Amino acid sequence: MTHIIMAGEQMEADVLVIGGGPAGLMAAIHAAESGAKVTLIDKANTVRSGSGATGNDHFRAYIPAFHGPDMEPVVKEVAKSQAGWTRPQSFVRTWMKTSFDIVKMWDDWGIPMKHEGRWEFSGHTFPGKPFTTLKYSGQSQKPILTKEAKKRGVKIVNRVTAFDLITDHGISGAIGVHGREDKIITFSAKAVVLCTGGCVRLYPGPTPGWMFNRADSPHTTGDGRAMAYRAGADLLNMEIPMRWAGPKYFAKCGKATWVGVLRDPRDKPVGPFVTKPDRIYGDPISDSYKGLFEDYMKTGKGPVYMDCRGISNEDYDYMMHYMKHEGLHGILHHFDEEGIDLRENPIEFMTYEMTTRGGIHYNEKGETSMPGLYAAGDEYFGGISAAATFGWIAGGKAAGFAFGRDAPSKNAGKESSEALKNLVREMRNRKDGPSWQEINVALNQVMSDYIGPTRSDTLVEAGTAHLLRIKEKARKDLVAKNQHELIHCLEVLNLLDVAEVIFAAIKERKETREKYIRVDHPYKNPAFDEKVLVCRKGPEGPLTEWKAIND
Amino acid sequence: MPPIIDEDKCTLCGNCVDICTEDVFFGSKKKQLPRVTYPHECVYCNACVEECPAEGAVRLRLPLPMMLMYKPAPTA
Amino acid sequence: MPPIIDDSKCTGCGVCAEHCPQDVFFGSEIKKTPVIAFPEECWHCYACVLDCPVPEAIRLRTPVPMMLSYR
Repeated sequence: MTHIIMAGEQMEADVLVIGGGPAGLMAAIHAAESGAKVTLIDKANTVRSGSGATGNDHFRAYIPAFHGPDMEPVVKEVAKSQAGWTRPQSFVRTWMKTSFDIVKMWDDWGIPMKHEGRWEFSGHTFPGKPFTTLKYSGQSQKPILTKEAKKRGVKIVNRVTAFDLITDHGISGAIGVHGREDKIITFSAKAVVLCTGGCVRLYPGPTPGWMFNRADSPHTTGDGRAMAYRAGADLLNMEIPMRWAGPKYFAKCGKATWVGVLRDPRDKPVGPFVTKPDRIYGDPISDSYKGLFEDYMKTGKGPVYMDCRGISNEDYDYMMHYMKHEGLHGILHHFDEEGIDLRENPIEFMTYEMTTRGGIHYNEKGETSMPGLYAAGDEYFGGISAAATFGWIAGGKAAGFAFGRDAPSKNAGKESSEALKNLVREMRNRKDGPSWQEINVALNQVMSDYIGPTRSDTLVEAGTAHLLRIKEKARKDLVAKNQHELIHCLEVLNLLDVAEVIFAAIKERKETREKYIRVDHPYKNPAFDEKVLVCRKGPEGPLTEWKAIND
Repeated sequence: MPPIIDEDKCTLCGNCVDICTEDVFFGSKKKQLPRVTYPHECVYCNACVEECPAEGAVRLRLPLPMMLMYKPAPTA
Repeated sequence: MPPIIDDSKCTGCGVCAEHCPQDVFFGSEIKKTPVIAFPEECWHCYACVLDCPVPEAIRLRTPVPMMLSYR
């Protein structure tokens, strides 16, 4: 076997944006508009990367012309929703206040934010409650945002995965690994915005033994959370689980795009909200009853079907249009292959695997706990609108920060780049040892068995010991046969760090609250009211700290 | 994943290829280094190691997902 | 598993390999039919199909374990 040598390369910018989804592209656009020299790096290609690669159709927003002059009812409703319930109200208020500007921008750039010329709100809504999700046609959002970023002079570097932040004398950039060449790139920057998306591939997916059948993009692997953690930044609410639901076996987010009634096998609606397909509400029962699909299976009453039978022709066309824009192309293609017609065939739904709801602690200015380090989007779960809005905000703030400081010294990052070079060189040159798949599967099983739905002190202890063994072996033994596998190796190292934090956070939160369940502490502990659990790196693993909610 | 062959020690006798129940070495040719074609199908029966005439020429590596869950010994 | 390329229709433009978020086409070269190096890593996002300039030069096959359960 030829010996692989890692080439080195240097790049400089005022603002470095890591991740080119809606959050990253919006951050880059705003930072560049503010006059900063911006570089954006993406693991894939910004034209089609991340969970919004080929579309989205719901955008949380406050639209004065639709909602009227009082924004507060919308703020309250979003604060209660899946996107807002772990956020302070002040955060949600900034989000909603800015959302309309973002909507207008997107519409101007050619992302259709209106339905037949008017603002249309539907899905994720309970009868009698304020509407918060604007329906839009997002299939081309990524190519359009990429074009807007380039127009403003943003330098986009595709197929580069950032792995470590440079922390010499404050945040000074990041080190990336190329996904197609044996090359390490040191990005020197005055401010960094993390926008790497969610945290998929922690738990086993719906298909046994398969890694990539996932509701969200499987190449979003908590890279930002892990980088921020290793650099010393605070992570928040990592113990709080999140689960999506959608069509069974073909995992894809977007259940609110389906216009039907969730029914049992005898056609009885399982919720009280709708009795016939209604495009305005969809069926919100699964928003308020997350265990619905599993409970019906476990008790033998299931399965539960999304039943669109009886839909009007107009609503059917509407649903099919928006399925395309939500990026459900694979499912639509499968309908054709299989001869499935939603007007005739009810489709079984399921709950997908867990991930963490929490992430990097960033405030309404996009600031993390470290000066010069910003984060946005699903670095802490919020969905597409939060991504676009806080990406925009974080980009502006990062540019402002960059103007106030000198460029990092020429030597910044030298040591960490050498360390990373050695790590990846070893993985590329090792002859035998575990592949990334092996480590990922080992991680998946320990997550689901020890901090899956059943969580307790003894399980956390046993699981942590095992996780640390896997982690040690991964760093020491991983083998990457090519650059593609090398990126997956780095991803599993990130997942392992994120997992270690989740274990530590679960150990600390000895109570049961909302969707967080500890079987050995089945009560709410009032000592934790109005508090959040923060984790950061300590000398011997994660440290935890309770903080007042608005800190 | 297993098995792993040490090119320097292997005598190319083909015993492992002949003995393997799961035919993990499918496609291997006589007098050539055996090919580990289906490593995922290894059941860790150790037959290839037992039948190998050259000590250390073939070994099995336990995949990480199969590691046992053990309690660390108390530190003194 | 997906994707499947029709050699007779593919122009070798490389757009699918450029846009694929999962880099399923790792190792592909411009002006040649793309290599499907990691078919099991496909996320069925359809970027390759949507962005391919030639109708039906590329398609995705739904893997059997991902078939919908319907009645």
